[in-house]
Amino acid sequence: MATTTATRVDTPRAPRPDDAPRKRRKVEPIYYLFLLPALVLFSLAITLPAIMGIFYSFTNSIGFGEWDFVGLINYQAMFSDPAIWQSYLFTFGFAAATVVVVNVIAFLLAVGLTARIRMKSGLRAIFVIPMVISGIIIAYVFNYLFSNSVPKLGNSLDIGWLSESVLANPDLAWVAIVIVTAWQAIPGTLLIYIAGLLSIPEDVYEAADLDGASKLQALLRITLPLVSGYVVINIILGFKGFLNAYDIIVGLTNGGPGTSTRSIAMTIVTGFTGGDYAYQMANATFFFLITIVLSLVQLRATRGRSTL
Amino acid sequence: MPSPQQISRRTILAGVSAAALTTGAAGCSSSSGREPVRFLLSKPEAIPYFRDLVATFNSSQKDVEVVLDSSSNLQAGFLRGNPPDLGLLNYNMEMARFMARGALSDLKDMPEAGRILPEVQKLVNNLAAYPGRTSVLPYSVMAASVIYNKKIFADNAVEVPETWDDFIAVCEKLKTAGITPIYATFKDAWTVSQGLFDYTVGGMVDVAGFYDQLRKEGTNVGPTSKVSFSKDLAEPVSRMEMLAAKYTNQDAASRGYGDGNLAFSKGEGAMYFQGPWSLGEIAKSGPDLELGTFPLPMTDDPASRKVRVNIDLAAWIPEDSTRKQAARSFLSYLFQPDVMNAYNAAQLGYGTTTDAAPVTDPRILGMKPYFDEARFYQGASQAIPLTIPTENYLQGIVTGAGVEPTLQTLDADWARLALRQ
Repeated sequence: MATTTATRVDTPRAPRPDDAPRKRRKVEPIYYLFLLPALVLFSLAITLPAIMGIFYSFTNSIGFGEWDFVGLINYQAMFSDPAIWQSYLFTFGFAAATVVVVNVIAFLLAVGLTARIRMKSGLRAIFVIPMVISGIIIAYVFNYLFSNSVPKLGNSLDIGWLSESVLANPDLAWVAIVIVTAWQAIPGTLLIYIAGLLSIPEDVYEAADLDGASKLQALLRITLPLVSGYVVINIILGFKGFLNAYDIIVGLTNGGPGTSTRSIAMTIVTGFTGGDYAYQMANATFFFLITIVLSLVQLRATRGRSTL
Repeated sequence: MPSPQQISRRTILAGVSAAALTTGAAGCSSSSGREPVRFLLSKPEAIPYFRDLVATFNSSQKDVEVVLDSSSNLQAGFLRGNPPDLGLLNYNMEMARFMARGALSDLKDMPEAGRILPEVQKLVNNLAAYPGRTSVLPYSVMAASVIYNKKIFADNAVEVPETWDDFIAVCEKLKTAGITPIYATFKDAWTVSQGLFDYTVGGMVDVAGFYDQLRKEGTNVGPTSKVSFSKDLAEPVSRMEMLAAKYTNQDAASRGYGDGNLAFSKGEGAMYFQGPWSLGEIAKSGPDLELGTFPLPMTDDPASRKVRVNIDLAAWIPEDSTRKQAARSFLSYLFQPDVMNAYNAAQLGYGTTTDAAPVTDPRILGMKPYFDEARFYQGASQAIPLTIPTENYLQGIVTGAGVEPTLQTLDADWARLALRQ
C-alpha cells in the first residue's frame, strides 16, 4: 500500500485508469450488471412517467384522445386557483406540525427505550408495530374511533368538546390527521433515534455524571448535540414525506369537511382522475420542483457531518 | 471466489430460466376456445345479482365466456387502450367525458337501440353528446325522491306534503314530537349532493336549461353573468342549508351512508333523502318497515313537483375493444325484456324500454306517475365536471361554510375550467 501511495504522490500528472491496480478493472462490469435491473425499473416506473407528465403539463390533454399544445396556460391558471394554494398551505402547515409532534415524541421514546429498563426489546417491538400496518387501514380504523368511540366516551364522561366527532369540525379535522399520521410515522423516526442514541459512547455520560450534571442537563447539553445529525435527517426526511400525505387523509376525511383537509397529492389525484390531467400535471411539476429544492437543502445540511 | 467467467454464465442461465417461468405462467389463461368478454360492472348492490346472471349466460351457450370485472379502474383502462369489452355503469360526467371524445362505439344499428324510451334517451344527451352516434344504451333508471317511514307519519298524523309550506309544517310537527324529521349523513359527501342538494335545486330550477346556459357563458360565469351558481342556485341552496341546520340529526356530520341506512331502518328518522339503492340496504336490517316515496315540494304549486332520475346503469362498448361482436351478443342477452324486467324489479329501478314492465314495488310506486309523465330532472350535482369538488363544497355548506362564498367559488371554478378546456 505504501509503495502505491508513494508512486501517486511522486508523479505530477493526474492518475489515469491505467495506473489503477490490474485487479480492479476485472470486477467493474459485474457491478454495472447489479445496478442494471434497479436502474431500468426506476427509469421506467419513475423517471419516464415524470418526464411524460412534465411534457403533458404544456398541453390540454385529458389523458387520452386528442390534445394540443397550450403553452403556459395551465401554469397561469394554477397560480390563480385558490383551491390549489389552499391545498399547499394546508399540506405545508400539516407537515410542519406533524414533524414537530413526531420528532419530539420519538426522541423522548428513544431516550426511554435506550435507558436501563426492563423488557427493552419487547417494548421496542411493540412501538414499531404501527409502521408495518398499511396507512389506509389505520385511517379507516381511526375514522371509526373518532366518529363513534371517542364521542361516546366524551358523552359518557360529560366532556363537551370530546362529544362531537373531531373529524366533522372543519377547523379541527387537521388535528386528527396529525395524530394518525404521527402514530404511523413515529416508529420509523424512533428507530433512527435509537440508532443515534446507541452510537453515543458511555464514557461521555460518565464524565458528565462525575462533573455533577443532572439527568436533564445531560439530556440537553450532551445527548441532543451529539444526535443533532440524526435530528436534522429526521426533520428533513419527515417533512418531505409528510408533504406526500394522501392515504391517511383519504381514509379519515377524504378532504373534508368541505375542502378543509385537501392535501396537494389529493388535489392532483382527484383532478386527473376527473379528467383534468394536464392541469394537475402542471401542479405536480411545480410540487416536484419544490421537492427538489427541499432535497438540495437536505444535502447541504447534512454535508460534512462525520456522524451520519 | 468464482471467477468472472463463471459468474456471467450463471447469470445468463438464471435469466433464461426466469424468463421461461414467467412466459409459462402467462400462458395459463383460459384457452377453452371461447371468446372472453370482459364485463365491467361496479355497482356494489348489483354485483351478486350479475354474478349469477353471468354464470347463467356462460352455461347457456358455448361461444362467449363473460368475465365479470368489478374493480378495474375505468380511466386507467381507457388510457392504456385496453378498456373492458362491455361496460354497464352509472351514466355520469365521467362516462360523458369518454363519450364526448369518441371513445365509445356506435350502437345505433342494434335492435335494442330502437326500444329505448325517447325521454330516457334525451337524458343521455343532457350531459354530453357525440353527434351521430348512439354511444350508450340506458339499462336502468333510478327515480329518487324523499323516502319516508309510513308508520311514523301515521303515528304523528302527518300527511305527505304537496307544497313547500306543508313540508316545513310536517318537519316542525315531527321535531316538536321529538322525532328527527330528516336523517342525514354528512360524513359521506355524495349523500349530501345526491339528496339534499339535488332535491332542493331540482324542485325549483330547470336543471337542464340552467346548465345549457351555463355552458354557453363559459368563462364569463361570475357575478356579472346572466346565469351563475350564485345567482340561480342561491335560493334552493339556502333552503338546503336551513333544512340541514334545523331538521337533521345532531350527529349527522359523523354519520356515513352505512350508518344512515342502519339508523333509518331502526326508525331513528322520519324521512331519508336517498335513492332506491338504499332501500335494499335498509331492508337488510329492517325488513318489515313500510316505506314510501314522495317528491320534495319546493314551491307552492303541487303540479311543479318532479322526481330526480339518473341513468343508474347504461351499456356501452368501447371503440378500442377487439371483441365487439361477442360483447354485443352479451348485450343483447342483457337487454332481453325478461332479463331487464327481472333486474329492475330486483333493484327497484325503472325500465328504460318501451316494453318494460311497470314497477309494482310499493316502496317506489309513488314515483311511477312522475316517471310515466316525464316529470323528472337529472341531478344538478351530476352535470358539473368531476374536477370541481362539488360534493366537498356542498358538504362544507351543511357543516357550516357559507352559502354565498361557496357558490361564488363554484362560479370561479367553472369559469377557470372553461378557460382551460
